Amino acid sequence: MASRQRGGGVAAAVSDSTHYRFPPSQAYPLNRCLFALKSDRAFAERFLADAHAATEEMGLTEGERADLRHMDRDALVARGAHPYLVFMAGLRLKMLAEPTKLEYF
Amino acid sequence: MLVGAFAVAHTPQLLIRPETEDRDLVLRVHAAMARVKGRLQEMKPDAIAIIAGDHVEAFFLDAVPALAVYVGRECAGTFGPYRYRLDIQEDLARAVVEQGIERGFDLLYTQDARLDYAFYVPLHFVMPEPVVPIVPLHVNVYLPPQPTPARCHAWGTALGEIFRARPERVAVIASGGMSHFPGTDRYDSPEFDYDRGVLEALREGRGRELARVTGEELDKRGNIELRTWITLLGAVGDVRAEVYCYEPSWHHGNAVVEWPLR
Repeated sequence: MASRQRGGGVAAAVSDSTHYRFPPSQAYPLNRCLFALKSDRAFAERFLADAHAATEEMGLTEGERADLRHMDRDALVARGAHPYLVFMAGLRLKMLAEPTKLEYF
Repeated sequence: MLVGAFAVAHTPQLLIRPETEDRDLVLRVHAAMARVKGRLQEMKPDAIAIIAGDHVEAFFLDAVPALAVYVGRECAGTFGPYRYRLDIQEDLARAVVEQGIERGFDLLYTQDARLDYAFYVPLHFVMPEPVVPIVPLHVNVYLPPQPTPARCHAWGTALGEIFRARPERVAVIASGGMSHFPGTDRYDSPEFDYDRGVLEALREGRGRELARVTGEELDKRGNIELRTWITLLGAVGDVRAEVYCYEPSWHHGNAVVEWPLR
């Protein structure tokens, strides 16, 4: 029962133990932004230049924008971000920032 | 007809190696993939059906299909500096959609979706020469709720029947796996022993046992992508696997496997 109360329902309690969870709808704007960072190079470049300006009109809370600026994985995932999107968005930003340290096959 | 069956890792670090990755390990996986390329050259397939889990690239949260078939004339995508465009074997792809739906699988089909790197990375290394057209088959692995392993296996069984009845020579590749936990606190501690147990079962021709694992188990073991292998196993049945390599890196169990078909 304790876990049911903490998780806010039976479904939440069941999925709390898994690594990849159903993405909650309140985190849609956040996941949308991470998806753009991962898959839209122009957006990722704008974000690298000025994260605050790039996320101006994405419907994010100030807390979400702050966590995105620092790519704070645990905080983002706690807000409902999909772990894979956080991972790949972070990796893409790193690849853009440090392209010379990569070997291409 | 079905002429070949393989599973190939698609870790992006195999294509673009950062300094964090052991170069020798990467080259050993490349060597195993080169063996697959050699086998494909011998088999002379008319098409390669590649089963992969889109990494939230073609299918974001605006529409999440469990199973999808690319059935356009060609498909394209990008990954880092790579720009790729591949022809689709359209007759075969269309047969898969039509006969799949006829058999009770409510498939999504697309003539335009982007092609994720999960499809591209294995093909970058194993595509025979001359190049053959492909049939990309998506299985949702990253966005819960995913199709159950039993459903994936049943879909693979149907795919095997469809391919065997076709005039084209078809090789099937399952892309992805094995254990890894991207974006989680388990990233640097995959379940390599679990992987080795799975590979042992596959060597013994006990692949159908994987149809009985639960989705929760796959998630716990960092093996959500094994759904692509389980789909392939439905098509190959009890054939014993030959493991070309199993190379565990600090974050990923990289495997390359063939199921030699008669």
